[in-house]
Amino acid sequence: MRGALTQMHVVFAVLLRETKTRFGDNQLGYLWAFLEQGLMIGMFAGFFTVFGRVTPPGMSMIAFLTTGIVPFWLFRSTCGRCMSAVESNKGLLFYPQVRPLDLVIARAVLEAVTYLGVMALFMGGLALYEGPPHIESLLRTFMGLGLASGLGASLGLVCCSISVFTPTFERLFPSVLRMIFWFSAALHPVETLPKTMHDIIILNPVAHAIELVRSGWFPGYDAHSAEPLYVLGWILVLSFFGLSIERMARRRLELT
Amino acid sequence: MIELTEITKAYQTRSGSNVVLDRISFSFPPRTNFGILGKNGSGKSTLLRVIAGTEQPDSGQVHWGGLVSWPIGFSGGFNGSLSGEENCRFVARIYGADIDEVVGFTMEFAELGEYFHMPVRTYSSGMRARLAFGVSMAIQFDVYLVDEVTAVGDANFQRKCRNAFEARSDRSSVIIVSHQMTTVRNYCERCAVLRHGKLLVFDSVEAASKEYDAA
Repeated sequence: MRGALTQMHVVFAVLLRETKTRFGDNQLGYLWAFLEQGLMIGMFAGFFTVFGRVTPPGMSMIAFLTTGIVPFWLFRSTCGRCMSAVESNKGLLFYPQVRPLDLVIARAVLEAVTYLGVMALFMGGLALYEGPPHIESLLRTFMGLGLASGLGASLGLVCCSISVFTPTFERLFPSVLRMIFWFSAALHPVETLPKTMHDIIILNPVAHAIELVRSGWFPGYDAHSAEPLYVLGWILVLSFFGLSIERMARRRLELT
Repeated sequence: MIELTEITKAYQTRSGSNVVLDRISFSFPPRTNFGILGKNGSGKSTLLRVIAGTEQPDSGQVHWGGLVSWPIGFSGGFNGSLSGEENCRFVARIYGADIDEVVGFTMEFAELGEYFHMPVRTYSSGMRARLAFGVSMAIQFDVYLVDEVTAVGDANFQRKCRNAFEARSDRSSVIIVSHQMTTVRNYCERCAVLRHGKLLVFDSVEAASKEYDAA
């Protein structure tokens, strides 16, 4: 048996190790995280400007897209990285006190810190350019980001354990994640969507998290459908499910 | 110090279930260097991983009465893109040991020279094994679990390992699994043979040797 202290040691050690290997040997790796997001936001901003779409009043296009795209990528990247946590760190499971769950937690924390950094940099840059923003509730924004991260980690834990049993899963799931993007309201306010679309998208917990981020950032943003408890429910169910299969996966893992 | 109760482990193969460890119960004598002999594929590495707690048995229990090492002598456990030093830091962290002490000891013990600061993937297998040995010796375990020590380094390095084990024999002991009688003879006071999933324990290394050679 091991204590909470050992687990903290382990998670911290894996976390430090991951920061060095997150982008391979590339020293400029973290720059890539910023560039990737910047390119995506720029691309959609250009696209929407050309096609003359207007953002809700009082919001700049860039700020609006940032609050949608960065939380989504926080979710997606956390899920993807957690999913492959065991596969790419199998050697570490040789140390008896390292468990699959520790690898998943370490990766989730690293992604959260990375994307919070991206978010802060973009919003900070924008504030310099457009003047200081009027923030409705920073706490609400952080809650949304936290929920997006939690969703990614819990879904990632489930996927990670499943891919121990069926390795092909790991190759198929990224396309599912890509599809979720179009049902996450990352590019549109949920309340402006047509009724049928609205009813479908509101089932997606990621959309709730994104709406929370936005309603925290923009004063008067209408996000009355966003429900933190709904997202929390998803996280709890996924975690419970994920932890149960992690226990089975631990037995199944063969170390050679 | 280490106690095994009814340990069973089977692997699924195409021709059905292959029982590698068959209801093994055994209490390792405290502070005694112990050898486990087994032919290739007899399940000795699996047994060592179960003893370490790295792998879980299908049924049965392991009880540890002290700090037990991970299975030493494998090349896994290191991240190839990190340097030997960075890998040392990792191990020190997960065992809550003093990082500088572990790094210093390993650098001295493993004799990797400049390679200590290079990515582990540039190492030869001998260098990896030396690193693995160095790090494990840097941490004060009560029982060191060693897998095939014969594969590690040249005669000089082996002498060094043996001296290191002897130097701490008042506090620590070793459990070695090997397919070679000579290894066990060099290190161990008592010995068992693993065959058909059962552990046959002998009072003397010589008795085990006879039995092992006969099969």
